[in-house]
Amino acid sequence: MTINLNANVGSVLAKPEILTPKAGNAAGQKSDFANTIKAIEKHISKVDDLQSSSDMAIKDLLTGKSEDITSVISAVAKADMSFKLLVGVRNKLIEAYKQTMNMPL
Amino acid sequence: MEVNNTFGPIDIAISGLHTQGKWMEVISSNVANARTTDAGKGEPYRRLEVMFKTEGEDISSVSIDEIVPDMSDFHKILDPGNPNADAQGYVLMPNVNLPIEMMNLTVAKRAYQANAAVLKRYQQMVETALELLR
Repeated sequence: MTINLNANVGSVLAKPEILTPKAGNAAGQKSDFANTIKAIEKHISKVDDLQSSSDMAIKDLLTGKSEDITSVISAVAKADMSFKLLVGVRNKLIEAYKQTMNMPL
Repeated sequence: MEVNNTFGPIDIAISGLHTQGKWMEVISSNVANARTTDAGKGEPYRRLEVMFKTEGEDISSVSIDEIVPDMSDFHKILDPGNPNADAQGYVLMPNVNLPIEMMNLTVAKRAYQANAAVLKRYQQMVETALELLR
């Protein structure tokens, strides 16, 4: 399950790089959208950290390195929660981008 | 706490789970040693008790303060055939009362369940909040 989630993070990670230059071009000098994307990049790396730490916790549990199930639960719960938030924000962003692109000129 | 406050309830609930698990461990030690006449120091097993403490002054998680021995008197039972019996035929038994341990076990189990319920409900709450994004 976590491997899939990480793969998703990877695919999401690729997105801002696609989005940022376009946003910069569209808005010119004063681009709030680009700043938003930058903030989201930071958030993505945070989410990625949580994902990898939950991954590590699961691995440690399965390999017998640690027997503390509760810490695994906490790591997984945090990773899950932050990832859901990230997906929610991403969907909103894509939607906003699409709406902007569909604007009749 | 600052921005990361969203994880506060998780950390607290997890600390609860952790602590109740530890309590469970102490109870199991008490139950398992309910008739241990030799605990090493020439006296029977002494019942252990768990003290909880908060991590801070404000909203905070729970942790084990210390595990202290119950200093109440040992039980004395008449068993003249026992090799450990004294001149009057009495044997000192641990100061463990099984009914009390069973009671504590139920309390610990319920507390564990309560913390798990808090964790689950909080996750549901966050999901509800995220639903608003759609």
